[in-house]
Amino acid sequence: MTSDPLASPQPLDGAQLAILNNRFEGVARKMANTLLRAGRSGVLNRARDFSACIVTADNLLLAAAESLPIHVLSGPDLMAASMRQFHPDLKRGDAFLHNSPYHGCSHPADHTILVPVMDDDGVHRFTVVAKAHQADIGNSIPTTYHGTASDVYEEGALIFPAVKVQQDYQTIDDIVRMCQMRIRVPEQWKGDFLAMLGAARIGEREILDLAAEIGWDQLDAFRERWFDYSEKSMIDAIAKLPSGCVSATSTHDPVPGTPAEGIVIKADVTVDAEGGRIVVDLLDNIDSLPCGLNLSEACARTSALIGVFNSIDHMVPKNAGAFRRVDVRLREGSVCGIPVHPASCSAATTNLADRVCAATQSALAQIADGVGMAEVGAGLSPASGVISGRDPRTGKKFINQLFLGATGGGATAHNDAWMTYLHAGNGGLCFIDSVELDELCQPILVESRRLLRDTEGPGRQRGAPSLEVAFGPVGCDVDVAFVSDGTINGPTGVRGGGTGGRSRQYLRKVDGTLVETDQVSVQRVKDGEVIISITCGGGGYGDPRDRDPAKVRHDVAEGWISPERAAEIYGMSA
Amino acid sequence: MRLACDTGGTFTDLIVEDESGQLGMYKASTTPADPVQGVIDALKLAADDEGVSLGDYLARADSFIHGTTHAINAVVTGRTARTALLTTQGHPDVLVLREGGRAEPFNFTIAYPEPYIPRALTYEVPERISADGKIVRPLDETALVATCAKLREAEVEAVAVALLWSVANDAHEQRVREILRQHLPAVPVTLSSELNPTIREFRRASSAAIDASLKPLMASYLGSLSRRLKDAGFMGRLLVLTSQGGMVDANEIAASPIRAINSGPSLAPIAGKYFGELTKPGADIVVADTGGTTYDVSLVRGGRIPLTRDAWIGQPFRGHLTGFPSVDVQSVGAGGGSIAHVDKGGLLRVGPQSAGSTPGPVCYARGGTEPTLTDACLALGYVDPDYFLGGKMWLDREAACQAIKDKVADPLGMSVEEAAAAIVTLATENMASAIADITVNQGIDPRHSVLIGGGGAAGLNSIFIARRMNIPRLVIPEVGAALSAAGALMSELAADYRAVEYMVTTNFDMARANKILRGLQRKGEAFLAETAGVSFAPQIELSLEARYEQQVWEIEVPLSFDHFSSEADIKKLAEAVHQSHERIFAFRDEGSAIEIIGWSARASCRVHEHIIGRMKPHAKEAERAGTRRVYFGGSGFCDAAVVPFSALAVDRIHNGPALIESPFSSVVADPGSVFWRTIDGSLVIDIAAQGADA
Repeated sequence: MTSDPLASPQPLDGAQLAILNNRFEGVARKMANTLLRAGRSGVLNRARDFSACIVTADNLLLAAAESLPIHVLSGPDLMAASMRQFHPDLKRGDAFLHNSPYHGCSHPADHTILVPVMDDDGVHRFTVVAKAHQADIGNSIPTTYHGTASDVYEEGALIFPAVKVQQDYQTIDDIVRMCQMRIRVPEQWKGDFLAMLGAARIGEREILDLAAEIGWDQLDAFRERWFDYSEKSMIDAIAKLPSGCVSATSTHDPVPGTPAEGIVIKADVTVDAEGGRIVVDLLDNIDSLPCGLNLSEACARTSALIGVFNSIDHMVPKNAGAFRRVDVRLREGSVCGIPVHPASCSAATTNLADRVCAATQSALAQIADGVGMAEVGAGLSPASGVISGRDPRTGKKFINQLFLGATGGGATAHNDAWMTYLHAGNGGLCFIDSVELDELCQPILVESRRLLRDTEGPGRQRGAPSLEVAFGPVGCDVDVAFVSDGTINGPTGVRGGGTGGRSRQYLRKVDGTLVETDQVSVQRVKDGEVIISITCGGGGYGDPRDRDPAKVRHDVAEGWISPERAAEIYGMSA
Repeated sequence: MRLACDTGGTFTDLIVEDESGQLGMYKASTTPADPVQGVIDALKLAADDEGVSLGDYLARADSFIHGTTHAINAVVTGRTARTALLTTQGHPDVLVLREGGRAEPFNFTIAYPEPYIPRALTYEVPERISADGKIVRPLDETALVATCAKLREAEVEAVAVALLWSVANDAHEQRVREILRQHLPAVPVTLSSELNPTIREFRRASSAAIDASLKPLMASYLGSLSRRLKDAGFMGRLLVLTSQGGMVDANEIAASPIRAINSGPSLAPIAGKYFGELTKPGADIVVADTGGTTYDVSLVRGGRIPLTRDAWIGQPFRGHLTGFPSVDVQSVGAGGGSIAHVDKGGLLRVGPQSAGSTPGPVCYARGGTEPTLTDACLALGYVDPDYFLGGKMWLDREAACQAIKDKVADPLGMSVEEAAAAIVTLATENMASAIADITVNQGIDPRHSVLIGGGGAAGLNSIFIARRMNIPRLVIPEVGAALSAAGALMSELAADYRAVEYMVTTNFDMARANKILRGLQRKGEAFLAETAGVSFAPQIELSLEARYEQQVWEIEVPLSFDHFSSEADIKKLAEAVHQSHERIFAFRDEGSAIEIIGWSARASCRVHEHIIGRMKPHAKEAERAGTRRVYFGGSGFCDAAVVPFSALAVDRIHNGPALIESPFSSVVADPGSVFWRTIDGSLVIDIAAQGADA
């Protein structure tokens, strides 16, 4: 094998480093492909709400391909640690189910399969992680986001803190049977469970093959070098920023269980350019609340990291090496810190996580023009709600999260928003449901889905406009569950940029009257009624009067903004 | 005599098969402003070679088979027709929202893509059909007539119609076209339900929009090509290659031009399949085409050319999804022009930035300053600077080495040769990962496959790619430098038929299934009947698109029989689905019912009895034998034999290191490899000696 430079146990050069990184990313991509194509529930196979990543034996995030940011930056590391703590005697053929937000999972809806990759001598080398948002997890109400649950008991989720579900590659059916007795539409859950196991086993097989080819020592050498390289990239990225201490707040709308003024999230951010370090301090925040919005440790840490990485050079690899340079300070018992059981973290990946992210990146935007990002539209509107009922066409029960669309993208210093951002922790990775597929899979009709004029967050770079979706059941009643935010506190702009469109949610009765619904609700929608969901837009970046006039003219021609708004907000003469 | 011509980004390749079955290969520069000129130039080269006039030469040809990038270039550069989109009322933003999805969640340097058709030219039609094909809201014809006036006012040149659930009931789309014809008789129209009958409204709308926007342009291009060929003396049949790897008469392309969007590249797998089957019967065949900026790969399994419905123009999520079935050719940004640089953290990167053909690699001496893969190969001795394109172009080796030293070797603290070898290794890795995506990542073990190296630069590192992927055998066909044009000579007349009908194995209606299959077969038979007398090897292949209950992504499963006669056949079908699913996704779910979504038939036949001939020998090449000093990563410098391609004796085994050269290519055989020439003219290299007699 004369031309194989990887076979020799020499120090890795820049080419070998790039190659091995490519190989690990390839493993994660292959796992992800399995989840998408083989998953059963719409939340997996239509929306792609899942992630796949690789963690080292000492619980450091190594590779995450194109995973949802909120799923992976922190969480897989903490989950792998708890797996090792609860199961010190790991064996090849083991697999573990994990969804405990008290032990590192993002929130209980994100069922996760962890498989330890063991070498031939029984030494634990890596952990592969397949995480997928479920259509249902057995909550007390038919939704995976129980926004008003006063604690985990009211929430009702089955919690699995790294519970063994396979031994010697054989599934432990006791656990499966338990789940099938408590999770709605159990065969759908079982199909997704199999897809996750399949994905994790594929990851395991690939890493074993890679080690057989390259050798475990070389893989160890790679991880050290790769973390060092990533850390150095992070230092370089931070060095481009001015040093300073900044802080910003972002406010979640009041819902049952929160203070009357809502939940104010404050991020104090310190940039030390010379020292190559960023500190995000979330200590100065309120205690956890008797509702389902509390953050898990994974989501608190991750959403701060997302705010940082949204704000700086995107070329920095996102792994434990880069994370060495970011210090996220969390407080136990805080609403955005380390939750104490039985506080409910049912909606931890979206609502407050998006607010932590917003506060962090808008704080960083104060540091200098060119840095940071405007707020991303917040919350889970009915268009992204969980729908359930009985399908009159088949007589069968169904439950699934809809992804009929959410825009929400915040503007950055150099580009208008990415339109279909969904929410801050998602980064736009999820797919949007096809109207036709949704009408085929659920007994609904989607009357309309359109972007709304004059709802963009104005700025030199503009935020996304709001989306309006109107849908209702056909021949039956359905429940639609949602945890909407941004109806009062819209997505604010930064550096002179304006606020994007706010969310609204209505029920249109059979007689045509419009009723505004609660923001957090399981809404019964009767046959003939229609839910109208207006999602948040995104904030703008910079003064709208500095926007390139050619772009303003294009926005008017394309119907994004009216001529009046072009004149009034953007200062365009007609 | 048959002519196959593939207009690529840089070169217009022509392969001629004369009356005796011998092949000639010619390359002219592509002329983007008037691509027909490049075609005529290539034909002139061929006529000159024969020493006859173009008119006399063309008079001998009975068919001209054309692959063209004209359609895709028009999309990429935005030179398509001013096109309007008609959607169902309430759903105007189908092309803005697309299907969501994004690559690189932290990369904000990439702007959100503009819709293929601007919102300003999108019009809502009051109407609605439901999932079961019922009319929920009748078509408002008065409103549509008013829209027609707006379309005229907007000076629209083409119209795409994509209404919700037209795939379940096309009555509204058909009626919309009738009304458009009355009010805008000169404007071409594409109906989504007719062009691409598939569920998922965005994909249908996107196909229809792209198709409509190409109609005026492609009708005029093909008209001009046809006229100028005729004026030059051509009297035969003008055929155009499709994205699906078949060929159809030019007027059919003018009527649905999206079919030509991947016209050239889709043919490389056809040629690769032929040469792969000759050298290793029964093996999976990885077909790779190395270009200046991209590396295109596809996988032929069990003799089937792979098709995809996820074909993008440009990058996924950033370009445009055609939504239209196409030969599955995956492309990565790695080629001879890929630029190497060392980033601030000391990481070597190769591509995706490319020096393209202008300025091109440093060694072209046309002003390029960034070292490329081609420069690295030159520095390592893999290319003879005095024999590039048969000596027609001199390469500046010294400048290439200097650029590698300054930009890569010094920053990495390596010698120039080590740095050049590292560049080749990393480019090889990028190319190999494209192969991994279509093999290991789909559960297919490449150790049982054969690699076909197409493109003029394929020989430089294909042996390393084969080693990296554990592919035991590499084949460089003698027509490899123009693989797509060679594929064109082999391509078949083909027609694809598809029915969208739902069925589930737990409630399987054999009578209905047989009726669907029979209907598809009849269409196929009717197509084949039209070609009777001039066709060979007619066949109809049936396949199903199936999935487990509640999945939404189907897998294609070939059907080994043409009707269901008993429960056993349903079981056979189920087992075929389980096997495919397990191979791809590592598990089978025998407890789950299987849903069938699509039923397909492909009717095809060849137009010539034999498939492809052999290259005409070139006497002059044989004199170039000798040795050259080359460098291999891992083993360092050595003297490699220089072996002229045409002088290789059939079946005589040689050992690497060696360089096998022809005017169109230079092929590296590294130490440890063995190579020989086959009776059909291909060069075969095995990565290990024990593979030589396999």
